[in-house]
Amino acid sequence: MARESFDKEIQFLRMLALTSGAYNRQQYAERLGISVHTFDKTIKRLKEVVSAVHQQLPEDKGKEFAQTMRYSYMDSSDPMLLFLFRAKSLKESESQRLSLLLAAMQDKALTAMELLDLCCGSMPADLSLPDEKTIRGDLKYLEQVGVIKKETGARPFRYQIHNEMVRELSHEELLDLYDFVDMMASTQVPSVQGYLLRDGLKKHMARQPEADSAAAPFLYKYNYYSRILDEAHLFTLLGSIRQRRMVSFLYFSPKKDTSYASKNTNPLFERDTEGMQETMLPIKVIYDHQYGRWYLLGHHPGGAIRKYRIEGLTQITLGNEVAAELFEARKLELEQRIQHSWLIDTGKPVKVRVRFFHPGLGIPDFVRERVLLQGQWGEIVEEEENSFVYEIEVNGTIEIKPWIRSFGSSCAVLAPEKLRQEMIAEWKEIRAYYESI
Amino acid sequence: MNPFEKIFNYQILSRLEDSGTFMITTHERGWLKTMLEHPAASEAFLPETLGRLQLMVEQDQTIDRDGLLHKAASKESHVYHPYIRPLRKAISGKQLLQLSFSMKDGRISLKQDCFPYKLEYSMVKREWYLLWYHIRNRMLMSTKLQKITEMEPQAHTAEDYESLASKAATLLKKRSSSATIRVVPAYNGELSRILYAFSCFEKEVSFDEESGEYTIRLFFSGGDIEYVLSKTRFLGKRVRVMESGHMRRRMLESATKALGRYGQESI
Repeated sequence: MARESFDKEIQFLRMLALTSGAYNRQQYAERLGISVHTFDKTIKRLKEVVSAVHQQLPEDKGKEFAQTMRYSYMDSSDPMLLFLFRAKSLKESESQRLSLLLAAMQDKALTAMELLDLCCGSMPADLSLPDEKTIRGDLKYLEQVGVIKKETGARPFRYQIHNEMVRELSHEELLDLYDFVDMMASTQVPSVQGYLLRDGLKKHMARQPEADSAAAPFLYKYNYYSRILDEAHLFTLLGSIRQRRMVSFLYFSPKKDTSYASKNTNPLFERDTEGMQETMLPIKVIYDHQYGRWYLLGHHPGGAIRKYRIEGLTQITLGNEVAAELFEARKLELEQRIQHSWLIDTGKPVKVRVRFFHPGLGIPDFVRERVLLQGQWGEIVEEEENSFVYEIEVNGTIEIKPWIRSFGSSCAVLAPEKLRQEMIAEWKEIRAYYESI
Repeated sequence: MNPFEKIFNYQILSRLEDSGTFMITTHERGWLKTMLEHPAASEAFLPETLGRLQLMVEQDQTIDRDGLLHKAASKESHVYHPYIRPLRKAISGKQLLQLSFSMKDGRISLKQDCFPYKLEYSMVKREWYLLWYHIRNRMLMSTKLQKITEMEPQAHTAEDYESLASKAATLLKKRSSSATIRVVPAYNGELSRILYAFSCFEKEVSFDEESGEYTIRLFFSGGDIEYVLSKTRFLGKRVRVMESGHMRRRMLESATKALGRYGQESI
């Protein structure tokens, strides 16, 4: 069950990335709902992938895996979690064969028979030799994923690697491409394919005679690097939206302690899963920049709008297609309901008014700058010498509240009164935390 | 599109690396095609290069992002800046520069001797900064590329460069700072949210099984303390700063002044 195995690894890596070192093996296993044995097995497998991908990593004998995974800002250009997407398991003979074929097609276009000969001549002795059918199957796969191209011409067809990008661009142009890919993968979503491309380009450029030893000098501050884990599900979900198809999944609310249940094949160990089996029609995937989290929003067959955290989705399967008219109607309804969601709240719209205070004479007005930058569709409606009033209509006040609070004493809520009172109460509690200083 | 294609397998990857083979899949070309539609592309490439790249990905499908929405993002002021190319070259070519830039008060600082070491993009401000060492003032600087008015390469020896590099590295180390933040146990149910909010920092988390307390130690550059404080205020009563004393005093000050704004001066 390839799908399931990645669910486990995703949950696993997320927990390691978020809690960085908080738990011991036993505690991790408990929270993941797996046995310590499975935990160890998964760690072993992930370590194998990591060490193949990052050859420069030292042998981390005594070091905890979580430590290896620790995010370090100055070295953040290589996203550690990317190796998840390299984890698809493959038979030794198949990975040998595919790599041999690609290396051979790098220099010239070859026919299937030429490739077969070449492969038979270079495969390690302990691996079984491929037959023509296998090679044709490989070529079909490689063509399908766009790595090779069939040349035009008469039979027998010749195949060549499809990498004009690096062959036709000059070193300078490749540098520009590398920089662009780096920036876009780091600042936009989705980013996994961009990081994969960046990885390939980086290795290619290191092999060139003009290679400079210095690493790319780019840093991305306050980036939510674990966001790429959820991109594992993103394309399935975007695909289901495009095809207007229902999806089913086992959902684990992130608020519960256990975040994964193994699907045991041994009935002796079978136990109730704690997740909920859900079926719904996906309409929007939302990336929340405030926390670096992903949501899936859609319609439940019962008629209600449903919201899920993507990190809680496991065992996703695609279901039936719905009629275009129905989908459009649902989509329109959802879009209207979330039009004024600070994040995803579909509660009652309320007008929030906040007075923001300028930091003072001679100090650059970072408060106003930040409100303009992050205040979404809200507007500045009044300006005075020392302050200004910002107004926004939002669905409920829960989601905007942390943002307002983050300004500290640079603002005060004017309306609604309930939010104003909540703010006062919270600041009193916070003050009590520190009064004993 | 399945991001777990077997072609991305780690064993294939390391074998291709050994044989010096570059491969690119239709997934990656589709992603690139999507990104080339972003306005930044026309600044990041010379027109001929952009044209050739567009031609190379012509047959590929862009990523379908119709179903994708962004919420609570800062407005993107830019993703690429014309100074990136020369500054990147200066940094990787180990050059020193003379930098002129406008300061916060609007005055121009002219021809300052500059050791540039990194280009940093802030996901919060959504713009680029140059991180550099101010040779005469012996200070680490962070200047918005928008504020740079002029730059010129400056002659120097390799020894000069190495000695400046080590000075900057020492200062960087000195400037690193940390904070200890406790999750108030009553809010352990919101642990995931709290950890997500801090996931953009270098951090260590520890858990005391007996008391059920989670403690987060954040590591950051001293210049980022304001951002750490704003994140802490963002989470409100769910977390409590344990260290440093300075941050605790700042939190007390924020709470007291904020209450003052509501006319709640007295305790």
